[in-house]
Amino acid sequence: MGPLIPNGIISSDWNYIIAILIGFAFGYILEASGFSSSRKLAGVFYGYDFAVLKVFFTSAVVAVIGLYYMDYLNWIDISQLYVHPTYVWAAIIGGMIMGVGFLAGGFCPGTSLCAVAIGKIDGMVFTLGLMIGIFIFSEFFNSLEPLFERSNLGHITLVDSLNISPYWIIFIFTIIALVAFYFSDWVRSKVKKVFY
Amino acid sequence: MSKKYKLKRLLVRRYQILAAILFILAAGLVLLPKYKKNEGIAPDLLMKKMISSERYISTDLLADRLVNQDPSVLLIDTRTEKEFQNYALPNAINIPLKKLLDEDVNGYINQDIYDVIFYSNDNFYADQAWIIGSRLGYTNLYVLEGGLNKWFHTIINPELPDETMPEEAFELYSFRKAAGMYFGVGTSEQKTINKPIKKTITVKKKKKRVAEGGC
Amino acid sequence: MKKKKQQNRHVYWNPYFGGFLLGLLIILTFYLTGRGLGASGALKSGVVTIVDTVAPTHAENNAYYSKFIKEGESPMNNWLVFEAIGVLFGAFLSGAFTGRIKLRVQHSPKITSKRRLIFALIGGILFGVGAQIARGCTSGAALSGMAVLATGGFITMLAIFGTGYLVAYFFRKNWI
Repeated sequence: MGPLIPNGIISSDWNYIIAILIGFAFGYILEASGFSSSRKLAGVFYGYDFAVLKVFFTSAVVAVIGLYYMDYLNWIDISQLYVHPTYVWAAIIGGMIMGVGFLAGGFCPGTSLCAVAIGKIDGMVFTLGLMIGIFIFSEFFNSLEPLFERSNLGHITLVDSLNISPYWIIFIFTIIALVAFYFSDWVRSKVKKVFY
Repeated sequence: MSKKYKLKRLLVRRYQILAAILFILAAGLVLLPKYKKNEGIAPDLLMKKMISSERYISTDLLADRLVNQDPSVLLIDTRTEKEFQNYALPNAINIPLKKLLDEDVNGYINQDIYDVIFYSNDNFYADQAWIIGSRLGYTNLYVLEGGLNKWFHTIINPELPDETMPEEAFELYSFRKAAGMYFGVGTSEQKTINKPIKKTITVKKKKKRVAEGGC
Repeated sequence: MKKKKQQNRHVYWNPYFGGFLLGLLIILTFYLTGRGLGASGALKSGVVTIVDTVAPTHAENNAYYSKFIKEGESPMNNWLVFEAIGVLFGAFLSGAFTGRIKLRVQHSPKITSKRRLIFALIGGILFGVGAQIARGCTSGAALSGMAVLATGGFITMLAIFGTGYLVAYFFRKNWI
């Protein structure tokens, strides 16, 4: 029963090899979906290209449905998976800073790595900026720590926060995603085309 | 011809079809009959752990660890309270088998700081405690092999080896003799001294989370 | 020029296809390793390594770096670093197949390359700070978090895209 490495079904010696292979597939999919182009990524905010929204929501919906089916069939134990910890204010403020950074720089860390790989100079500059940003954060960690550690809710999921069955959450989430896809196509048909 | 036409119609509607598939899959999760999953480890894994001899700790090893005041040992007496009052190993904590699942003792067995060693008069209660704990997925559980009976025969009142026996047997004997002295032969005052090393156990539920993740 | 780019539009995968494969990859990642994907963690390891090499005492005294420094083990010896190496290779290969590999600055025709690069640097710095505060970026926190219904993942996702739409107007010249 999965996850395989934490349960010792695959030896952890394979960990890094699997990491490289998974990264390889990740990079390939991102690049092939056009995520190495900042103008394509930014399109989601101006309505001329919704690739980000479509890829993002499709993958999240597929992943969550797949994982819960696997859990249902006892192939994987959902409770053993790593759940990103929830620090409400850190997530909101960090997310807002990232939102501004996204619009200014046109990438996020994963996509900027793809852009670096295919020789986009703006991607390289963005990656450099990321490292400077991390450096700045670390240097000012003492003053940022209250925000960083504040309102820790632990490894909670929407099931804990909303107190409804995960299956209903997934169902609602899927409907939201489908509506978003439909809506995005409608918006795109109204917005002036931008070629890049 | 008509086949081609059909395919074309399908392709025109491909997004609707894909959306419908996604919708049905999501709805399927809601509609599937629910069943309660077993908590703890799977039976085959439990079996594997159960037949492994690693879950036993010998009396000699335990004596050695106690003499050296190994701080990672947590002795749990699974006999009744009365028997425990009568005689117990030093620093042992009494959790009678039927109280094993009580909320307030959970912190002692559901942790990963100490090596929990169950003992009873023989193996029986300790083994049962071990199986229940392991079934719930707790780790670091051990059983004192032979229980207190063997403890008496080997540590408190060791058998003098025959003269024909190899030197190791004599070494073992002298070790046991010394250990017996340490624990006090047939002591009853032992249990009144009770817990010189105060064990502070942080009742912290172990999370089964894996690694630190994220970005 | 414009026409040529117009023809180029369809070299990218259908976003639903890409999303579907990415979803499968997330499932596989969770199935194998019990954790999600990530990206900014690798850069963090890179920064920690650089600081640790240049100024070891400073790194040890800093409350944040010291979290990631272990005796006798390089911070680069990390799952996410290996994953990031894979990402570089994968993206390179995909770019090579479709002939997208070229050293260039991509920007809107309305702005200069210099402006684009300055904004890329600013955006990178902001994203770097934000990703550390939120403990993950779009892939690590939002995408992998959403796959296991983590509340934090949804909050981060809403915060990133919500803010994105709020400030989009001010950056429009850079993109449209």
